Amino acid sequence: MKNSSHPPLITRLSSVWYRHYRVYCKNLFSNGFPPFLEPLIFLAGIGLGLGKYIVSMDGIPYIQFLATGLLVSTAMFTSAFECSFGTFIRLEFEKVYNAMLAAPITVSNLFVGEILWAGTKGFFFSLAVLLIMLVFGVIPFSTSIFAPFVGFITGVMFAVVSLFVTSFVKDINHLNFYFTGFLSPMFFFSGAVFPIQNLPPYLRPFCEIFPLTHVVRMVRALCRTNFSPYLLLDLLYCCLVILILGFFAVKRLEKRLIN
Amino acid sequence: MTNTVITVEKINKSFGALKAVNNLSFKVNRAECFGFLGPNGAGKTTLMQMLYGVARRDDAQASTMDVFGLDPYTQELDVKALCGVVPQEDNLDSQLNVYQNLLIYSRFYGMETKQAGERIDELLDFLELSEKKDVRIKKLSGGMKRRLVIARSLLHRPKMLILDEPTTGLDPQVRHLIWQKIRELKKEGVTILLTTHYMDEAYQICDNILIMNQGKRIIEGPPRRLLEENIEPYVMETAKSGDKELEASWDTNGIRRDEVQNIPRYYAGDFARLKTLAKQMDTDDMNIRRTNLEDLFLRITGKCLNEKQ
Repeated sequence: MKNSSHPPLITRLSSVWYRHYRVYCKNLFSNGFPPFLEPLIFLAGIGLGLGKYIVSMDGIPYIQFLATGLLVSTAMFTSAFECSFGTFIRLEFEKVYNAMLAAPITVSNLFVGEILWAGTKGFFFSLAVLLIMLVFGVIPFSTSIFAPFVGFITGVMFAVVSLFVTSFVKDINHLNFYFTGFLSPMFFFSGAVFPIQNLPPYLRPFCEIFPLTHVVRMVRALCRTNFSPYLLLDLLYCCLVILILGFFAVKRLEKRLIN
Repeated sequence: MTNTVITVEKINKSFGALKAVNNLSFKVNRAECFGFLGPNGAGKTTLMQMLYGVARRDDAQASTMDVFGLDPYTQELDVKALCGVVPQEDNLDSQLNVYQNLLIYSRFYGMETKQAGERIDELLDFLELSEKKDVRIKKLSGGMKRRLVIARSLLHRPKMLILDEPTTGLDPQVRHLIWQKIRELKKEGVTILLTTHYMDEAYQICDNILIMNQGKRIIEGPPRRLLEENIEPYVMETAKSGDKELEASWDTNGIRRDEVQNIPRYYAGDFARLKTLAKQMDTDDMNIRRTNLEDLFLRITGKCLNEKQ
């Protein structure tokens, strides 16, 4: 009897990515417009308002300091939404995963594809912020053009963190705790809004645990074209989070999808 | 050369203390429609899931599951590549339209866009959905969604089709259409596994059925033969039930009395016997008909609900 063969890994991952891409593009206006709108609102709010009171931060204009933080915080939020509320809805309400798993893909293919999609969204959201900031001259045209790649890493990392959290969640409302209890404090204590080096010493280790801290450092180095070898530690941190948490997130979700 | 394409031997599946599938064995031939019947919670869906690799059977070494020469336990991807699945719920992408729903799934099978486009048109035509090609899922009726899920399962020309309650909740026209499509697929050589609660559905389209209850096989065989061998050919249903004394005066020789939810039914080998009984009862409120699979089903799976239903 002739055995049938299944599609190669690259097809399996890209088909999951493609599914998310098509669903996202279906509402191109409502999905594609806000990433550009957000930095414009930001510019108005900071440039016309807050920026008048706080002129510089950590040796650069405050508006530039915040804008560089925004490059990754926007990637963080889009990816976190996609892989928490989005994932939970696909898992429990729409049952889309059950449909996809009837096709020749495994649970890990499914989630690796989804994580790559979240990375892509992170890239796109960072790129949108970067373009606006370059146009308005807030961020200098330099190695800053590589910022969307840090956006990609941010997207992938927060996809993994969010999938891990979602794997424990039984009721969609519990995800609110993740946003208000974890992501919001992280936004403030990661160096995105103010430098963390002047925080009380007992707080600083916590800041180092936050994943956002590390990508903020990386993206700011790119925007200021000021690199230190310690950035490799930041990159290493991101890789470890992605691999370790990613492994457990997929294992846990597999238990929910495979009887 | 043997025509058997699916061999299942002594498989078990437990969820904690609950035994969903209990020592089940069966064989399915190529291009046959094999139906699984049983009350809710009988283990039908779990069984289907084990066959295409999204549920894992207990103690895989001690049991056999051979699907076109593959074991779904270890060769999940290969099994999925040759098998189409219509799950119980219509899990379509509600934001997309009909065509896009099929297009994104064609990617999972590595189909080129052009080739996929042709296949999609062919399938929409086959399931009479061509006019709905650009319609969003939200605007489709239940019957259209179901047909679209069937179309999706056929994209890659599967050798085997798993239909988990394909016509539940659909109107008679759509049910008959789906049955006709299943017959056509069978002619094309597709092996079909189906679960259903509709006995007429099983009778109409299944070559073989397996009735299961609480994870165990009760009986198996072609529907007509099962009827002949396991239940009288005629039944009289009546709402009239006399008191015990009156009933005792009726001539019930050769008639078996049974009750479903307190309504008595009288089964007999020949029509005339039941006619005579009806006369004695002196009522018009009765119906004598041929027995069907539902009568058999109720007889062998019990007439009362169990805790899982």
